[in-house]
Amino acid sequence: MTYEKRVSWQLRLILLPSVLLLFAFVIYPAIYSVYLSLTNEALTGAAALNPRFVGARNYIRLFNDPKFWNSLLVTFLFVIGSAVIGQFVLGLFSAILLRRPLRLKPLFNSMILLPNAVPEVVAGFMWISMLAGGERATLSRIVAFFGVEPTDWLQTFPLTMIIIVNTWRGIATAMILLTAGLSAVSHEVYEAARMDGATPRQIFTRITLPLIAPTILLYMLVSTVSTIAIFGFVYALTRGGPGGATELISIYIYNQSFTAFQLGYGSAVAVVALVFSLAIGVIYVRVLKVEV
Amino acid sequence: MKRALLAGLWAAGLSMAVTAAHAETIRIANHGQAGIDAMKATVADIEKKYGVTVEVVEYPAPDKDYVTKLLTELGAGNGPDIFSVPSASYVADMVAAGYLAPITAELKAWDGYDQLYDVAKQLAVSPDGETYVLPSMLGINQIYFRRDVMDKAGISTEQPKTWVDLIERAKEIKTKTGQYGLLFPAGVAWGGGAFEEGFQHLLVGSKNPQIAAADGKLSLSGEGVKDVFGVYKELIDNDLMPVQPLLGPEPWVIPKYEMFPAGKLVATTCGSWCYIFDWGRESKNPIPNVEKVVGTWTIPGQTSGQYVLAGLAAPWAVNSKAANVELAKKALLEIGSVKTEVSYAALIGNIPARKDAAADPDFQKLAELVPIHAAAENGVYLKQAAGFSAVSEGVARATEALLRKETDAAGAQKILVDYVKEVLGDDAVE
Amino acid sequence: MAAPHAQNPSKRRGAELGAYATLSIISIFCAIPFFWVLLASIDGNASLFLQWPRELTIDNYVRIFVKEDGTRWLLNSLFVVGTATLIVMVLAGLGGYALSRTRAWWKRPFLYTILLIRVLPTTALIVPLYKVLLTANNGLGTVLREIFGNGPARQILRYVGFIDGYLGLILVLATMQLPLALWIMKTFFDTVPRDYEEAALMDGATLMQRIRRVLIPLALPGLGAAGLFAFISAWGDFLLPLILLSSPELQTLPLGLFRAFLRVNTIDYGFLAALAFVYLLPAVIAFGFARRFLVQTFSGGVKG
Repeated sequence: MTYEKRVSWQLRLILLPSVLLLFAFVIYPAIYSVYLSLTNEALTGAAALNPRFVGARNYIRLFNDPKFWNSLLVTFLFVIGSAVIGQFVLGLFSAILLRRPLRLKPLFNSMILLPNAVPEVVAGFMWISMLAGGERATLSRIVAFFGVEPTDWLQTFPLTMIIIVNTWRGIATAMILLTAGLSAVSHEVYEAARMDGATPRQIFTRITLPLIAPTILLYMLVSTVSTIAIFGFVYALTRGGPGGATELISIYIYNQSFTAFQLGYGSAVAVVALVFSLAIGVIYVRVLKVEV
Repeated sequence: MKRALLAGLWAAGLSMAVTAAHAETIRIANHGQAGIDAMKATVADIEKKYGVTVEVVEYPAPDKDYVTKLLTELGAGNGPDIFSVPSASYVADMVAAGYLAPITAELKAWDGYDQLYDVAKQLAVSPDGETYVLPSMLGINQIYFRRDVMDKAGISTEQPKTWVDLIERAKEIKTKTGQYGLLFPAGVAWGGGAFEEGFQHLLVGSKNPQIAAADGKLSLSGEGVKDVFGVYKELIDNDLMPVQPLLGPEPWVIPKYEMFPAGKLVATTCGSWCYIFDWGRESKNPIPNVEKVVGTWTIPGQTSGQYVLAGLAAPWAVNSKAANVELAKKALLEIGSVKTEVSYAALIGNIPARKDAAADPDFQKLAELVPIHAAAENGVYLKQAAGFSAVSEGVARATEALLRKETDAAGAQKILVDYVKEVLGDDAVE
Repeated sequence: MAAPHAQNPSKRRGAELGAYATLSIISIFCAIPFFWVLLASIDGNASLFLQWPRELTIDNYVRIFVKEDGTRWLLNSLFVVGTATLIVMVLAGLGGYALSRTRAWWKRPFLYTILLIRVLPTTALIVPLYKVLLTANNGLGTVLREIFGNGPARQILRYVGFIDGYLGLILVLATMQLPLALWIMKTFFDTVPRDYEEAALMDGATLMQRIRRVLIPLALPGLGAAGLFAFISAWGDFLLPLILLSSPELQTLPLGLFRAFLRVNTIDYGFLAALAFVYLLPAVIAFGFARRFLVQTFSGGVKG
């Protein structure tokens, strides 16, 4: 065996364990989910003992299932509300403002980063106290200061509340990425613009935004994909309720599979989620011309 | 060389694990502190009697989470040896899935068998004629009302005779006290409750009193089912029952533990456990003098009759893949002792399924349960069939749509029928 | 932003004030939920609501480790997540090196596949993953039962089982962190010049020697970043242990927290808050270390 060949085999060999794990626990399950979605596999009942192949029945059922469409809509609003608007706007504000040489900069920075480190279940738990019903809950007390009536927040505005919680969790991600994007814009550009008498607003809309547009796009795609995958904190807070108002597609998959025990049907929903995510992934590789 | 050494160590480790586990162990699943406490003495008895180690495993407490975990484990083949099924409507499907070991012969040979109420024996028999669960406790469901609130407002507390009568009473409560008049559990978040603690009650007195048809199909398309949803519709649309709390994640907490004790909800369906666990001696927010202040009505039929609906309360069963099925079955029967049953009655408020429990001095102390126990003899029940978990989920979805005022009675029935057909196939429904 | 001549001082001070105000509001929004956990965890009569503790106590923490199974949950979490992180570091170190150095045809397709794997939500994979693990577990169980008998097999499966066993959870957790880690390591090795290895090659070093003497010392910063991110992400995962674990012996912190919260009628907020804090702390510490890698990972790690 030539020396080149031997090295090439060695490289394959040391990559092999990773390939095996990824194949066994990601790729094969992803393919297998397509098969499962064509069966009536279940956790209980006769189908648990002898699952049958049912063809496209699960998919037909899916398209007629208002709860499925509801979960798509909820997921869409959740992504738009938290990733595209909430995290992005607050992250952009923080990134721009923190470029100033402020004295409290490290403090602000740490406080904004902190929620990013919180495990999902703890996040859910913390916000249960914030959003509880009655006038003693933290949010009720804060808004009472502005003369707003206390309410049971997770009951009255469930989707808005989980959007707020997810915004809270993700400001840091947006801020970090956008800071990186902003720092790539050279100071001379600003200087020149200011010399020409541009107002701060003009500088922002005509210079800053176009220059960091690729970073923004990158952020949008990355955060969209990671927001679709969110499960833990919403499950801990609402279980998808009240009445499906916060039933994200991930929660719908869980509920169908593990609380209605319909593994086959749950898989059909999961396949839809997989296809969506893959499509976004492909767009992202294409549009951003990711170099590998 | 190194590899051989590792393999040797590995084998040594395994054999140590093996010797550490020589005593036979029975794993019993339990959930909720009250349930664990109620079983304490029984566990000790089983250990003494059969010379085994009993390991009580605490499962997540809400029924829905418990069932999820239990079924996942049974499907995986690593479930507990003995477990309770929180709602009898799961049993038939678990039998169909092959999760439960039949106990027909053992049960009939057991000395406690003759003491069981007939209704308990019949409830425990599965559609295939075998018995898979120990019917040790009954849940007797009735309507519980705040006698004090109604007396004060001058509302009759007599037994309502028909559904119309019942709804009129709820309306009267609403107009005279301004509080909610009558609650039937509803919605998806309540899990099996919408079916078990609400829908069933009305169904047994309707024109369609049973769901399990003789040919193994489910009878859900009849007028009776629609009429039952009509009752919900009326309660919800006239604002007679609290709707918002039922849409939240733990829907029973606000109406049962807060509104009813505060008199903001005046009547609700409930099982006998309400006297003990929800508002009585084991409650965190007890109603003083609960047995005087809170009265009960049986559930009236649609046009006549009175129904005491009996169901198995969290019946116990043996895992068909238990490490030692025969031993597990013997241990299971210990749960049917008078002592265990009375302990459950005292801590949770279920009704012993044994007649001889009435003579037990400890049970006699539970004065609020004694008359209910006596009435259990005349209990009616819903025959179980495979597919009941789907029916239960379908009822939850249908009543949820009613709660959200998205549909009417006929629409709710359609949601139920469509759901069951989707899950079980078109030919499952009559 | 140093352009003093273009703006008058009062306007600049106004802008500065505005910046402080906006940042303060955002920071308070970020920090407020933490107050309750901190205060409730040292409060003798904690409730669901934010309140100043009347009596300070460490009783809640004591209870976690003495009365309840907190020690076991913590150790399980540390063991499972720690082992998974270790596996990720080893595999990603090796794999990232291979990906960086190879010139084979499969390099590009492989890297694109990894990128696409990263976007697949775990929630959508959980059911088939569960079935796959179930099949593996049943196979293994049958073999072990044949050899050791019913009862002992159960004990052994607790360690090497794929469902309700340490091994399954560790492998799956590790796998879920692998794509990002491989990517980080590949990008990292791309920046390490080949000269060192080539020198070692000249000396006739074998692959193992090259890895040990040259690559490991060089790769430590990259491995640190990959390991920290794997740790944080695996530490915070809730769905996998929720589905895969059931025995009380195997419970981890997120499950302990979730289950304690499910004791509907008897929720003990002080205990829960203390437990949440114990669970939170390692993540925050790891995050503190990982901070300086964040930018590289989000921009670099994702974008070639």
